[in-house]
Amino acid sequence: MTSRPPLIEVRDLRRSFDHEAVQALRGVSFKIGQGESVSVRGPSGSGKTTLLNVLGALDCQFEGTVTIDSVELRDLAQPERFRARTIGFVFQSFHLLAALTAIENVQMPMFERDWKPAERRERAAALLKMVGLENRMDHLPAKLSGGERQRVAIARSLANEPKLLLADEPTGNLDSTNAHKILEVLQRIHQERNMTMIVVTHDAEVAAVTNRTLHLRDGQLQGAANGA
Amino acid sequence: MSFLQLILKNLLRRRSRSLLTLAGIAIGIGAVVSLSGIASGFERSWANVYKARGTDLVITKTIARSTMPGPFPATLKSEIQKLPHVREVGGLLSDVFSVEDSPTVLVIGWEPKTSLWKHVTLGSGRWPDDSSTDTVAIGSLSAEMLNKKLGDKIQIETREFTVCGIFRSAALAESGAIVMPLPAMQSLTEKDGMVNFFDVWLEPRTTPAQTDELRALIKTKFSGLTAFDPGAVSESNLAMQIAKAMTWAVSSIALVVGAIGVMNTILMSVFERLHEIGILLAIGWRRARIMQMILAESLLLGLIGGILGCGLGVAAARLLERSPWVAGKLEASVDPALFGIALLIAIALGGLGGLYPAWIGSRMSPARALRQ
Repeated sequence: MTSRPPLIEVRDLRRSFDHEAVQALRGVSFKIGQGESVSVRGPSGSGKTTLLNVLGALDCQFEGTVTIDSVELRDLAQPERFRARTIGFVFQSFHLLAALTAIENVQMPMFERDWKPAERRERAAALLKMVGLENRMDHLPAKLSGGERQRVAIARSLANEPKLLLADEPTGNLDSTNAHKILEVLQRIHQERNMTMIVVTHDAEVAAVTNRTLHLRDGQLQGAANGA
Repeated sequence: MSFLQLILKNLLRRRSRSLLTLAGIAIGIGAVVSLSGIASGFERSWANVYKARGTDLVITKTIARSTMPGPFPATLKSEIQKLPHVREVGGLLSDVFSVEDSPTVLVIGWEPKTSLWKHVTLGSGRWPDDSSTDTVAIGSLSAEMLNKKLGDKIQIETREFTVCGIFRSAALAESGAIVMPLPAMQSLTEKDGMVNFFDVWLEPRTTPAQTDELRALIKTKFSGLTAFDPGAVSESNLAMQIAKAMTWAVSSIALVVGAIGVMNTILMSVFERLHEIGILLAIGWRRARIMQMILAESLLLGLIGGILGCGLGVAAARLLERSPWVAGKLEASVDPALFGIALLIAIALGGLGGLYPAWIGSRMSPARALRQ
């Protein structure tokens, strides 16, 4: 159990698919404090991505209780609004919009804020500078390396100053040099912004940079220390 | 980056498809503008004829079974002349003929010694004698179209006439016409003693209420005849009604094709962008904003297509009015109100075409879209 005030509280989370034929999460409970960085590890099919989808309010059709920043996620009326204000996503395959430049990609989440176009651009430029891409702002994703694309995705995830950063295998598609750079960026963001971070990963090196690790197997958390 | 810039970028990404859709909308709107312009020009052209003549009422057959109203006895003139407020009555017999190289020329027989002859200006030559059956005066535009000058022969049906005068009229339809005395026209058309119009001039101080009473009296007294306001004659014309019906039929088909084009383009682009839409939803875009984006793309296509269509419609109308079938009979009337209506239709087309794709896009599950 964490000593920090919990930002995330999960109780008896269950999620099944195909009319209960597939039980992806089977009674998962844990708390994560404000400013913690936590990795979620487990073999393929253990329920990591399902858990990330639930925590990111991409999937609100679950049983149990999931509270993030005092908001109960089950049957949330406007999950998009919650995501825009609270969550930043970093995906394994970057998920950048191919037709938009790096700086335009970073501005995309900002459309949900009352910022003027010039302010959006200024904020996006600052974020790209923070991840070391100040000279690549007007490049299309196709003209960027894998590591650069992931740094754009990280900058985008911070666009609306979220409280929680969710990263799904952020180094999964990168070589070791680029993976290392990404880890440095994530660590720096966590430290400088005191942001709560959850990283789903297979990689022990990635897990090592987080405060603690939750182990998932067959939809259940392993080890008493990880429970609520 | 503004929302509008994003919309434009989305449309420019699929440049060929967007251009083809714009072409579809522009053709649809062009059809509406040009055909409506021609129909409205036809009405205006005839209204101008009566305006130029200073006619107060036009008496003709109530039901027209062909492009020109059917004939009725010219002898009715004496009875009409006796009606209250009537100052003068002039009989006309008109029809449309294929004259030499021109497929449709309006040929009119005017009753001699009436005000019908007074509103036009003789540019050269002289008017045909009242009893002449082999001379005609031609309008300046028909002289140009038929390439005729004074003294030239002109073949109408089986008869040959000599051009004895060339006149100018403020009304385009008359400038493109051929005029002869009423008896000559009755002889040419084998309708002796018949007319198909009476132009009526009223006493100067006749009130609108008195005019209405007179119209009602004519309708009661002369079965099968109606006295129209000059502006309404063309509306009752069968050719005009057919032209209007055709305008709306062709326009409707063109607009349906345009709307399907927009829907196809936007739907295709939504299906191609399911993954992107999933990303936007995942990073916090509201479903309403996704809908706004897709609708804005289709509305913008509609607006640009509409503007292009208005230009295309004007160009098509100008070309149509120069065609041998239409030349000399009307001047297309494309006014700002028609542009406004056309643009509204185009924007509505865009909106309608974009509604279903927008609904599809906004209903997506982001988690599922991201897996694609």
